[in-house]
Amino acid sequence: MRLLTHNILSSNIKGVTNGFPLGIEVEKVVEKQVEINHDFLRNIFPKIDWKAFSDASKIMGYVELPEEAPEPSVLDSDLDFLRKFHHALLELHLEEGALVCPQTGRKFPVNKGIPNMLLHEDEV
Amino acid sequence: MVFNSLRAGRYIHRFWGTSTLSLDSFCAFGYPVICSRMKEIKVKDASTWCTLVPDGEPHIQSVCEDHKCSSVSVKSTPEIEKKYVHRVYDAIAPHFSSTRFAKWPKVAAFLESLPTGSLVLDAGCGNGKYLGLNSSCYFIGCDISPPLIKICVDKGHEALVADAVNLPYRTNFGDAAISIAVLHHLSTENRRKKAIEELVRVVRKGGLVLITVWAVEQEDKSLLTKWTPLTEKHVEEWRGPRSPCVRCPSSFSLESIPETEENGLSGHMKDSRESLMEDMQQSACLNPQNKDDSLVSKDGRSQQEYFVPWHLPYHRAEVSGASAVALATGLAKKDDKKGAVVYNRYYHVFGEGELERLVSGMDNAVIVDKFYDKSNCGSLCTLFMVEFGFSNMKNEIKKLLVKDTSPSLK
Repeated sequence: MRLLTHNILSSNIKGVTNGFPLGIEVEKVVEKQVEINHDFLRNIFPKIDWKAFSDASKIMGYVELPEEAPEPSVLDSDLDFLRKFHHALLELHLEEGALVCPQTGRKFPVNKGIPNMLLHEDEV
Repeated sequence: MVFNSLRAGRYIHRFWGTSTLSLDSFCAFGYPVICSRMKEIKVKDASTWCTLVPDGEPHIQSVCEDHKCSSVSVKSTPEIEKKYVHRVYDAIAPHFSSTRFAKWPKVAAFLESLPTGSLVLDAGCGNGKYLGLNSSCYFIGCDISPPLIKICVDKGHEALVADAVNLPYRTNFGDAAISIAVLHHLSTENRRKKAIEELVRVVRKGGLVLITVWAVEQEDKSLLTKWTPLTEKHVEEWRGPRSPCVRCPSSFSLESIPETEENGLSGHMKDSRESLMEDMQQSACLNPQNKDDSLVSKDGRSQQEYFVPWHLPYHRAEVSGASAVALATGLAKKDDKKGAVVYNRYYHVFGEGELERLVSGMDNAVIVDKFYDKSNCGSLCTLFMVEFGFSNMKNEIKKLLVKDTSPSLK
């Protein structure tokens, strides 16, 4: 699971009003390189919840991202930032661990990079 | 849910317990049935009679005193889907995936038309056929079947195990969502509606949703006759590497359903009076021109619930071990002649205008385009929806968009 995916995931348990962002429990992180696409990053950037993203990247062991979201213009001028953004967003994978509902503490397992978000009968 | 189907089973069995009925006369009461041939099923006489509205308040008949029917959420998976969708796909996943390579042009065109940086959500992605189709977009696939998701992830895609009726995504975050040949595996109208609501919910205002389902409607109604074989011979024709088509192999499918109490309701997919009424209204509108109205039962009501067989070759079946369990529990049957384990998949085939009706009922979505695709040996009804925040402007905007949208979406 990449952090871009984490940025869209939310707990959908019955009764939960604030299911985002999910907490992360890390057992194994894997880095897999992908080609950088500047246009893609520029378009994706405004959609990201920066706080959730930057907090999650720290949990995954990557501390290079700024706390505050930079101005969008930085994406055109600062190649270094772009590379870091790309790396944290797309190249870090949570292979083993869990995602945690912020309201109930319920854990959604992540195995072989696959989160299982299925709910039990009593959670729907 | 086990509770749901057992209750429904008792309701029906009690009815059957009072007299021997031919399935044809049972049709007269409006229950959709798979087969026009009856199989007598001996059942215990039930002491309770309780109709369940799957996702609403229980409607308890006067007979039912000592039993309480709890209300079942629309997000709870009915037993028929667990047995004839979930477990089947889990068992056939690799084989199924190997037959799923052809990309439908309309879906590919839609995905290729999306702007760079789009977040695309594929709900019910199966083997991930469409994930990453547009390399400038970010795809997240989800499916209820873990083996199928494993196939996606092994290919390098981003995928997770989730339920299309309850997507684990933030509201209004995606740019586009697709649901390709998924909704017809949901066994109640409320669940199908919920799945559509979820697709619209997860997409931003102004985003696009593409849904395709198997449907009976055809631009050319005469094709309907060719499309519905009742004999095993016809089923065999389409058993090859191409997608198995939706058919009504009526006598064939009933034989492959074991005769247990639960499966005694094999002919009766709907378990509520509410959906019974819907069926009756719907079939009143359907009036096929063809002579061989095999999709329509004797009294003019349309058949929409089907089991469609999947033949899993023996050499494929050994791999998962799931087939051994399936055979032991009666979920699947051996066909030594064909050298395959035969599973049944549940389908609700959409009727004329049905998908359109479901979508039109939504305040915050508008149909932009719809068409049929006969290229995949069946009829496919495809809709685009544009989501707006201003429902009072719906019609004006719709007019504009329909003018601008070309079929190829380029």
